[in-house]
Amino acid sequence: MTALLLGALGLTLSLVVPGPLARAHWPGRAPAAAVLLWQAVTLAAVLSALGVVLAAPEELTRAFGSGRPVTAAALIGALAVAAVIVLRLLISLYGVSKRSRARRARHRLLVDLLDRAEQRQELDAGNVRVLQGNLPLAYCVPGREARVVLSDGALRLLDREEIDAVIAHEQTHLRHRHEVVMESFTAFYRAVPRLLRSRAPLDAVHVLLEMVADDAARRRTGSAPLRGALERLAEAVPLAEDVAPETDSRRVRMERLAVPRNPSVALDLLVVAAALALLVLPTVILVVPWLDRALDAWPL
Amino acid sequence: MALGDLEREVMTVLWERYDPLTVREVHQELARERHRDLAYTTVMTVLDRLAKKGVVRQLKEGRAYRYAPAQSREEMTASVMMDALSGTPDQDAALAHFVGQLPPEALRAAIEAAARQDR
Repeated sequence: MTALLLGALGLTLSLVVPGPLARAHWPGRAPAAAVLLWQAVTLAAVLSALGVVLAAPEELTRAFGSGRPVTAAALIGALAVAAVIVLRLLISLYGVSKRSRARRARHRLLVDLLDRAEQRQELDAGNVRVLQGNLPLAYCVPGREARVVLSDGALRLLDREEIDAVIAHEQTHLRHRHEVVMESFTAFYRAVPRLLRSRAPLDAVHVLLEMVADDAARRRTGSAPLRGALERLAEAVPLAEDVAPETDSRRVRMERLAVPRNPSVALDLLVVAAALALLVLPTVILVVPWLDRALDAWPL
Repeated sequence: MALGDLEREVMTVLWERYDPLTVREVHQELARERHRDLAYTTVMTVLDRLAKKGVVRQLKEGRAYRYAPAQSREEMTASVMMDALSGTPDQDAALAHFVGQLPPEALRAAIEAAARQDR
C-alpha cells in the first residue's frame, strides 16, 4: 500500500504538477518562493521514486506470505536499486558542474584577455569586462571569480541608467549563486530516463531566476531602465521566429516590469509552507509507518 | 600589476604586431609602447603560461622561441561571443544571459550583421 501511494504521488509530481505550475501566473508575484516550490516538487518526486523502490519488494513478498528470508532478500535488493538511483543522480550532478566549471574557466580567461579595459573607466564594478564588437551582449560568467560581460554594441545601445540596471541584474545572479540552482535542475533533467523527463521545471526555474534578478535590479534602479534595456537588447538580438508569445521569457519579463511590483508576504509564506509540506508530509504519513514494519524483517 | 592584467597587456602586444615575436621583442614593446617596465623573466613566464593555456602559439626558431596569438583578436572575440550565446541543454547552466540564447543559425546571422557594421 505504501508503495502504491508513493508511486501515485511520484507520478503526480513528475507528470501532472509541472504543466499547470509552469503555466500559472502567481509565480511571477513570488518568484523566489516559486523556485523553492519547484525544488520541493522535484526532490519529493525523487524521494517518492526511492520510496517505491524500497517499499514495493518488501510489501509484495509480505503480501504473498513469503518467509522472513525472502522478505529480507527483497529488502536488500531494493536497497541496491535505490543506491543505483541515488548514484546516478550524483554522477549527473558531478558531470554537469564539472563541465560548466571548465567552460566558465575557459570563457573567463578569454574575456579577461579580450577586455577593453580603457572603456570601462566609467563602469565602477571591478568584475565587469567589455568585449569589442557590435553584437549587443550582456551576460555573466558565474563562479568564484565571476565576471559580468558587456559588448561595445550593448554599451552603445543602452544609456547609462540602463547599463546600471543590466549590471545590477547580472550581479544578482552572481551574488545569489543562481547557477547552482540551474545546475541542479539540469543535472536532474539529464539523470531522468527520456520517457519520464520534461523540460518544464528547467525552463520555468530559469525564467523565475530571471525575475528574481529583475526584482533586485529594479529595487536599485527602478523598473523603467531595466525594461528599456530588455526591450532594446531583445529587439537587437531577435530570438528564433517560432517562439510562442506566452513562452517567450523576454515578453513575460517585460510585461511584468510594466506594472509596479506587488509582492505579497502571505503568498510567499503560503508557497514556502507548501514546499515544506511536500517534503515532510509524505515522509511522516507514509514512510515512517512502513519503516517501522520493514525493520522487523531486517536481517542484520 | 596583477597577473591577469599582465597577460592582457602581453596579448595586446602580440595582437597588434601579429608577426611571431621573441620574448625580447615583447619585452621591448611593452616598455616602449605601453610603458611597462617588467623583468625579462616575467615576460617569459607570462608567455609560457599563455602558451600552456592554448591562446598563444610557440614557434621554435633556431635556439629561441617566437610567440604568436593562436587567433586574431577579432577571431577570438567572435568565438567568445559564439560560446556565450549558443545554448544546448547541457550548457544551460554555464552562463547566465540577460536576454536569452540563440539557435545556431540566428546566432551566425547576428554575428555577421554585427561584423559588417564593424567595418
